[in-house]
Amino acid sequence: MESLTGQHIILIIHYFFFVYGFLAIGSYLFLTVVSAFETSEYVKKNKFVDYSEILASSISPSISIIAPAYNESLNIVENVRSLLSSHYVNYDVIIVNDGSKDDSLELLINAYDLVKVNYLVNKQIPTKPLRAGVFKSTNPAFEKLTVIDKENGGKADALNFGLNVSSNQYVACIDVDCLLLEDSLQKMIKPFLEATDHKVIATGGVIRIANSCTIKDGKLLDVNMPKKMIERAQILEYLRSFLLGRMAWSRLNGLLVISGAFGLFDKKIAIEVGGYDTKTVGEDMELIVRMRRVMEEQKVKYRVAYIPDPLCWTEAPDNYRIFISQRNRWTRGTIETLKMHKKIGFNPKYGALGLLSYPYWLIFERLAPIFEVVGIIYFTVLMMLNYVRWDFSLAFFSLAYLFTLLLSIAAIYSEELTYHQYKKKGTGFKLLLTAILEPIVLHPFVLYAAVRGNYDYYFNKKKKWGVMQRKGMGTTAT
Amino acid sequence: MDNLKKIVLAEDNSTLSLLLKFRLEKEGFQLFMAENGKEAVNQIETNNPDLILTDIMMPYISGLELISHVRNKLNSKTPIIVFSSAGQEEMVLKAFNLGATDFMGKPFSPNELVIRVKRILS
Amino acid sequence: MDFDVFVNYYNQLPFLIKVVWIISVILFIIIIVSIFYLKIYRTRLRNSTAETQKLVTEYEIQLINYLYAEEGQEEQNSIIEKLTFCISSKSKRKIIKRVLLKLKKEISGEIAVAIQNLYRQIGLLNFALKKLDHQNWYVVAMGIRELKQFNIKDAHDAILHHVNHSSKEVRKEVQLYLVSLFHFKGLEFLTKIETDLSEWDQIQLLEVLQKNEDQQDVDITPWLNSNNDSVVMFSLKIAEIFNQYEVQNHIIELLHHKNNIIRTKAILVLGGMQNLDFKHEVMNNFEERTLEEQQALFKIFEPLVSNNDEWFLLKYSEHYNFEIRLEALRLIKNFSPDKFALFKETTNNGQFLEMLNFLTDN
Repeated sequence: MESLTGQHIILIIHYFFFVYGFLAIGSYLFLTVVSAFETSEYVKKNKFVDYSEILASSISPSISIIAPAYNESLNIVENVRSLLSSHYVNYDVIIVNDGSKDDSLELLINAYDLVKVNYLVNKQIPTKPLRAGVFKSTNPAFEKLTVIDKENGGKADALNFGLNVSSNQYVACIDVDCLLLEDSLQKMIKPFLEATDHKVIATGGVIRIANSCTIKDGKLLDVNMPKKMIERAQILEYLRSFLLGRMAWSRLNGLLVISGAFGLFDKKIAIEVGGYDTKTVGEDMELIVRMRRVMEEQKVKYRVAYIPDPLCWTEAPDNYRIFISQRNRWTRGTIETLKMHKKIGFNPKYGALGLLSYPYWLIFERLAPIFEVVGIIYFTVLMMLNYVRWDFSLAFFSLAYLFTLLLSIAAIYSEELTYHQYKKKGTGFKLLLTAILEPIVLHPFVLYAAVRGNYDYYFNKKKKWGVMQRKGMGTTAT
Repeated sequence: MDNLKKIVLAEDNSTLSLLLKFRLEKEGFQLFMAENGKEAVNQIETNNPDLILTDIMMPYISGLELISHVRNKLNSKTPIIVFSSAGQEEMVLKAFNLGATDFMGKPFSPNELVIRVKRILS
Repeated sequence: MDFDVFVNYYNQLPFLIKVVWIISVILFIIIIVSIFYLKIYRTRLRNSTAETQKLVTEYEIQLINYLYAEEGQEEQNSIIEKLTFCISSKSKRKIIKRVLLKLKKEISGEIAVAIQNLYRQIGLLNFALKKLDHQNWYVVAMGIRELKQFNIKDAHDAILHHVNHSSKEVRKEVQLYLVSLFHFKGLEFLTKIETDLSEWDQIQLLEVLQKNEDQQDVDITPWLNSNNDSVVMFSLKIAEIFNQYEVQNHIIELLHHKNNIIRTKAILVLGGMQNLDFKHEVMNNFEERTLEEQQALFKIFEPLVSNNDEWFLLKYSEHYNFEIRLEALRLIKNFSPDKFALFKETTNNGQFLEMLNFLTDN
């Protein structure tokens, strides 16, 4: 009798993993197909857009680029120059120096002829106070630049200060070390201006990996494939995530995340919902979820748009230590956001947001690493008890592996058929090789970081509310 | 043949530069072509032209940088005519500040360009 | 035999495992095929770029030769013949169009006209006109765009026919065609349009209008009274940018429009025209107006303020909105400095004082 229940339990566990795996594969397949449709439509429609018209126009709406900086003195002068070289006409750049302990401010003052100006801040969102004050350039060539020096309060707090200061209709929140292509702003603003029967609350952009690319004077001159496997594997990962996943979610109007490294927001709405949350490490995801939540509650017809063009390039971690700490932070951000807004989950009042996006994120993003670890432990136990049918396991492993590989190849196809950034001979092969190796060389670290994130969230309280640590190379792409 | 006036033409639109080359050669000038700012700098340094025609927007080195290079690095007073497109008014102003001699807004008429070139070189 | 062992092994497997193996094999085959295809695709992409470049150079030379050959001469005719032959191939047609366009964009005057003639002579025009009746929106939009780029005015009626097409892209191309080629006259479509003009469309159209200096007098009043709110907005922008003072009275009527965005824009436009009549109209029922309208009034208020408006400024220096408060105080500082000084002495509200101090220094 007892062994029978034991067997039952084992059977249930098996079925659980089987169904979970089946659903995961099914949902990925579904998203891939949706993204294929959306991509082909986007490319077709985009052919008719003459961006040069809108770029020159002084009647186009005003945008502020808000870039928080913390101890970025190494590259800050160059980075600001790149931000100032956008081709859009009606925009300004707000650099928020978030209590940096280095000489960022002095460097900026010298490079851009800055002087302190009188400034009255409309404190719509509470933030940490100013430190040295607000600076503008005396050189008319840099009239678009405002530098704010405030006391340290973290990235979210710095962005909020930028929201308070901006007098423009839209804000582009970006990481200061990002390289924006010159036509980024007009491409990102387009969804806002095109909508007639609904409101666009935010547009998300793609993050591309700039490692090994040739950059001069804030311009991307040449796209190269980096040498290290960890960098290449991330390129593939980003392609999968941005060209397949997000593209599909944008079609379903279910995007929950806009990359903190580059997103454009309707400022009025962002302020109305209270700006960025300073208490989470996942402030980029949390803001979007909150904005969507408020829209749903106010019954406004809205959309979160997405532009798949390669507009924003940034350095990705090139060693495992930084990579793990970055992913650890993303994991905690996801957990916190989902927890803060658990009211939305499985709640038909929130429409597709509650019934589709939220559950997907919970089950396949938030819980996947946990299930995976449980699976591994379970398998180890079976192995020790000598219960493993190795030939059966081989069947499942090969299915899982081949499916992952197929998804990566689909992402490579998507890239080749649309933007084809990696033009050089031999890079196609390198990408393929990466796709073949990635499950072995990168995935274990992704899994480890996710587990660490969970551990830190539940057991390491000090880190939970800790000040965001920004490494020179650190980026936020989720 | 030595007394042919030399012109360096920096323009990344290959069709336009071919058209202008034919037209100006017909008028009796010797043309040196450059597809980008970098090549233009090389052509200028090796050929010491009597006139420089350059587009404002070019890959690698922009027309503005080109002007600044000619005026400040080479310390040359060679006349420079810049081509600009709609919406680049700000750049045209900068070009004049850097020492451009004249400018032509695209789309322009090649005949008009020839007239201006002749006037400057006569 | 090895193979038999394999088959026997497979046959004894449970159903589920069989399924897993079958799917794995299918995936494996798909992967192999797509890898090979990817290789072919990348190679072809690289080669075709080189091939295209070669053709571009060839057609460029022919085009230039055509343009500098004497009209009606042997050489010109032989080039026309050659190109006419080439356009039967779709890929070559595309490249020829690209070369023509590349030059036409940068050139004006007689050479631009010559390019246009060549476009007709080699038969490209017929291909474009055929596209207008196509089923697929994409083809129609492409055709209209091409006719716009080559400045083909005779297609006017056929294109205007598509003004309410179900595809947004086609509609946009129709509008751009009309306004690019016929400027203000092309705006006649505003009477016919039943869909919304997005802000993006409006900006593009205004850009095109601004580029053409021949600003004819068009009467925009019918559009200011349109039932289509987006058309009203667009006409307001036209009135603003092209300084149409003569329609001011019609714009004043829009202060009572049902749409908040239109009322707000009307205030901004009238303010820009420094119209004094509307000021009292807005001030008198200021309380009932939306925050957007109130902000709009204060944005354009400065040149309109007279000494009689002091009560109004004083009243709204305590408005709940930051910008309105700040602007009201700034105007008080300019128009009645003694009142402003009095404020500074008497207030004990920290935030208020901060604002006053800021204004004193600026």
